[in-house]
Amino acid sequence: MKRKHLNPRHAALSTAIVIGIFALILSILVAVTIGAVKVSLSDVYRIILYQLTHISIGDPGILTGGTLYEIVWNLRLPRVLMGAVIGILLSMCGVVMQATVQNPLADPYILGISSGASLGATFSIMIGAAAVFTGVLASMGTAFWAFFGALGAMALVMVLARMGGGRITSAKLVLAGSVVGSLCSAFTNMMIYIGKDAENMKTVTYWLLGSMVSARWDKILLPGILMAAGLIFFLTQMRNLNTLLLGDEAAITLGVDLTKWRRIYMIATSLLSAVAVCTCGIVGFVGLMIPHIVRGFAGSDHRFLLPLAALTGGIFLIWADVLARVMMANSEIPLGVITSAVGAPIFVYMMVKKSYGFGGKD
Amino acid sequence: MELETRGLSVTLSRKEIVKQASIRVQEKEFVGLLGPNGSGKTTLLKSIYRVLKPSGGVVLLDGREMNTIPYRETAKRMGVVSQFNNLNFDFTVEDMVLMGRTPHKNAFDRDTKEDYRIAEEALRRVEMLDFRERSFLTLSGGEKQRIILARALAQQVEMLILDEPINHLDIKYQIQIMDVVKSLGVGVLAALHDLNLTLMYCTYVYVLKNGQIVAHGPTEEVIDAQLIREIYDVDCSVERHPVSGKLHVTFFSRL
Repeated sequence: MKRKHLNPRHAALSTAIVIGIFALILSILVAVTIGAVKVSLSDVYRIILYQLTHISIGDPGILTGGTLYEIVWNLRLPRVLMGAVIGILLSMCGVVMQATVQNPLADPYILGISSGASLGATFSIMIGAAAVFTGVLASMGTAFWAFFGALGAMALVMVLARMGGGRITSAKLVLAGSVVGSLCSAFTNMMIYIGKDAENMKTVTYWLLGSMVSARWDKILLPGILMAAGLIFFLTQMRNLNTLLLGDEAAITLGVDLTKWRRIYMIATSLLSAVAVCTCGIVGFVGLMIPHIVRGFAGSDHRFLLPLAALTGGIFLIWADVLARVMMANSEIPLGVITSAVGAPIFVYMMVKKSYGFGGKD
Repeated sequence: MELETRGLSVTLSRKEIVKQASIRVQEKEFVGLLGPNGSGKTTLLKSIYRVLKPSGGVVLLDGREMNTIPYRETAKRMGVVSQFNNLNFDFTVEDMVLMGRTPHKNAFDRDTKEDYRIAEEALRRVEMLDFRERSFLTLSGGEKQRIILARALAQQVEMLILDEPINHLDIKYQIQIMDVVKSLGVGVLAALHDLNLTLMYCTYVYVLKNGQIVAHGPTEEVIDAQLIREIYDVDCSVERHPVSGKLHVTFFSRL
């Protein structure tokens, strides 16, 4: 008999990936039925079914217009899908980033992405591009400035890490990331401090803590496409990523052109996380925690870690956003608050259980 | 496969660690690299296996300049067992050894039965087959070193570069590992500390001091009491052992 899997553990993990895919689909289907406004299950699925296939069941009145249609099709579904997309993006970038800098404590924001994006967004909200620039730049919104800030910070980190010559090491990257991070925070805090408008301040805070509120169909397109492209690209890179985990020397002696690939991975993850950040603000902890948790049960082999972490991240963020929507009546809790509040205890549990060491031996 | 360096120099932090070193490992030759701590052995080896860039001179692989060959190509032909440094991430022993197959694999290739067979064979050779499901980070230093050798064996190379491959091992495994390497019949360049093991296994040696090759030649002709005193600053006698028939070094205490 021909065995499909030569290793029983691999067979179990492959099964886990299939289960994960179903769990993600199920999460999407269940999460669209939950919300502040009560919509009956049948109405929810009738609207979605009609929009996807044009098969109409029962009363056609609610299928193409009205409040229920707006809520289900134009608010909830894009929002749930956005949660999945951003969750997948952040966990995927976390996995790749940790391998790239060979540090299990790295996250997608490590290259100054989050602080740069915060600076850009704060500038846009508190001061406003129109106050400083004219022409095209003046008309750009918060998302643009967040993206711009993220890329600027990332570029600065890369330049700093290369200063003094020699190869870009993970230590240099982490240090440069912290330096740029504090620099950006200083300016961000300064702008918030001198800001007078209370409403703007609230918007900034909200943005800094992440939210899916703005999710609409037209805003999902770009992150969705990039997520798919990124996932496909990194799925071809799983062997390289595995060898990177073994350290610079082992990677080179196993034939991986470390300098080249490290640069490519860094630029790719930075762009992807910058897109995530500029779409829905800074959703903390996901990119750090999800890869850790998944590594705890799936091990470090990227052939399983990468797809499993992506799926887990998507599912996690869908449910975190459900909590953000329904926990407080008539109000939303910032998503970043939920992810950190839920994530921290899980993280501590993993640490105490010692199913995963942070590095080296205990 | 033949490995050669010509006038190789390596500079680290403005200090020239290796100076104009020319060495040569011919096909299937077992070559030792001797020298005291800090003499530049590791630096020389690192520039050969492409982790450090030489500041002068060239490394040639079958007459081709190494830096014109893609990394993957050299990894198919040259394996490395270096001084072990700690890992931040864990793998099972089997996965670790399977990674030796990396240079032979394309992006979407799966690990085949053949790969598993090669990994299993490599683990059997270093007597670690019973450990295949174990997590790598829980192994002892010596066990890790044997796994790293197994990974290099799974690479199926024509040339092995060994940087003190046996420094964590007890005498049984020192001899076992050296026997395994010798029995492969591939070219070997090994930095070693143990002079008696060098005499047992190496047919040719280079002696490095302060970054310079100060002596080289067939092992038995190069190693004598005078050279050892010059290089390591210790007293010893070198005599032919009545049972093994090999030269043997006996060291004397200064007390």
